[in-house]
Amino acid sequence: MALVYRLLLRSLVTRARVIALSAIGLVGILLGLAIGVSDLSAADRSHAITRDLLGGFGLNLVVPVTALVFASAAFGDPTDDRTMVYLWLTPIPRWRLVAAGWAAALSVAAPVAILPVTVAAAVAGAPGRLVAGTVAGALLATMGYTALFLGLGLLVRRALAWGLAYVLIWELAVARISKGAARMSISVYSRSVLSDVGQVVKPLNAAAVSTSLIVLGVTVVAAMALTTRTLTRADVA
Amino acid sequence: MTAAAAVAPPAEAPAVTTIAVDRLSKWLGPVVALSDVSFTIGPGVTALLGPNGAGKSTLLRILCGLTGASQGTVRVLGVDPRTDLALRGRLGLVAQQESLFEQLRAVDIVALSAGLHGVADSASAARGALELVDLDPADARPVRTYSKGMRQRVKVAAAVVHDPTVVVLDEPLEGLDPRQRVRMIELFVHLGAQGRTVLVSSHVLDEVERFGSQVLVLAKGRLAASGDFRAIRDLMDERPHRLRLRASDARRLAAALMAGGTVVGTHLEAVDSVLVDTVLVGAFRRALPRAAAAEGIRLLEVTPLDDDLDSVFRYLVDR
Repeated sequence: MALVYRLLLRSLVTRARVIALSAIGLVGILLGLAIGVSDLSAADRSHAITRDLLGGFGLNLVVPVTALVFASAAFGDPTDDRTMVYLWLTPIPRWRLVAAGWAAALSVAAPVAILPVTVAAAVAGAPGRLVAGTVAGALLATMGYTALFLGLGLLVRRALAWGLAYVLIWELAVARISKGAARMSISVYSRSVLSDVGQVVKPLNAAAVSTSLIVLGVTVVAAMALTTRTLTRADVA
Repeated sequence: MTAAAAVAPPAEAPAVTTIAVDRLSKWLGPVVALSDVSFTIGPGVTALLGPNGAGKSTLLRILCGLTGASQGTVRVLGVDPRTDLALRGRLGLVAQQESLFEQLRAVDIVALSAGLHGVADSASAARGALELVDLDPADARPVRTYSKGMRQRVKVAAAVVHDPTVVVLDEPLEGLDPRQRVRMIELFVHLGAQGRTVLVSSHVLDEVERFGSQVLVLAKGRLAASGDFRAIRDLMDERPHRLRLRASDARRLAAALMAGGTVVGTHLEAVDSVLVDTVLVGAFRRALPRAAAAEGIRLLEVTPLDDDLDSVFRYLVDR
């Protein structure tokens, strides 16, 4: 598995991806800086940091988009350049290939997504517990999204477009207005963890931390199982 | 080798069957890629011959489990290649596509293949496999700088590094220069002589002849013929042939050939050019110089007009 992990990790880290996603992260840091030097009241500053910067920009945009780019490419790139055959035609159990793909995507997506969001929280003047909550929420969100988007690269040809549509339509729109849909939103659970650890106002449709951890764990396992099934049944060119 | 759907004289079943295909069909949307293909093959080199688009790559992909059959059964070493994970450790494939891990060195790619197949000392195995295909294991260049022939050899090394029982090679000689082709054919024959099942696809008739092997002929998704190469060659020679003869007196030469009985039809194109039809290629080859010498005619040129593979395969399918 380590061999597959190293191979996929090496192919995932391209200069273009890291620069493009770091640029988005940099925008977040600049936003944090702007909040930090602004003359907002304490209540408004807390609201701006929690809801707009971390919940809105960080967990709703930077984290899912970064996870999408790397996770969908983990198996999408080998499928597109037709090197998948070298991975597929091995006696390695499919679940181990999927686990290696997830670990590789997470290894690169986590620092690229979490670091700028955390720095943004810090420079915006967030208290220590909120910074800790940001790390916890962003990490859980990255884990959930990478697992979810891993199979997308195998299932569809334009994984980025489909993934973005999912983030924009489901996570940012439907899950915000529907309580039922919020039960199936990674963003809602990760923001629940952020607010709970950070001891700030809970977002709309928030869940308990224990529920959030269980649901995110189940999401990861279910998504990996589905990706394993897809990989097993894939037609490899 | 046997072939239920073949039109060649059926060959005997191999003493040991390593690949068994029974009534295999494959549809790709509305396109029938393979239709009712049946055969068995055993250890040794078997050539899969057919024109481009005949279904060779699809068949090889099914044998490796890369795609499933729409109908029929496939067994490789007694198991279903689509579902049996352990089989993949005993299979080696040279895929037709050029893709490789472009940023890696040849030795890294072959070592990777060895590692993924569970070879203990993958570095040492990779060096050995690269030497087998005449590549330098110490070459520090990434494979993206390699010529097509060198890349092809890297793929062959990666396919055999884990000592597979069954080796499947899809057009492995493409892009190789004549010297490399000879070397590679020697390697395939050597692998077959070691008791491995080596299945090599090609659309070049002369290449297959040099394997000295059993042959499966695939055309339009159907198994058109199978058996020993010589039997297939004879079968191909029995089909009607059209040739253009250029000679100092084409009319007299045609008349002499007609009188000799080796030609069934003629069409005079010019004073020095005639088209002739024959069904006895061997006898015609012998009769032509004799007839020209006997008539005192200078033979300038003999051009077969339908010796391309497509016409050969068309004949095999249509007969």
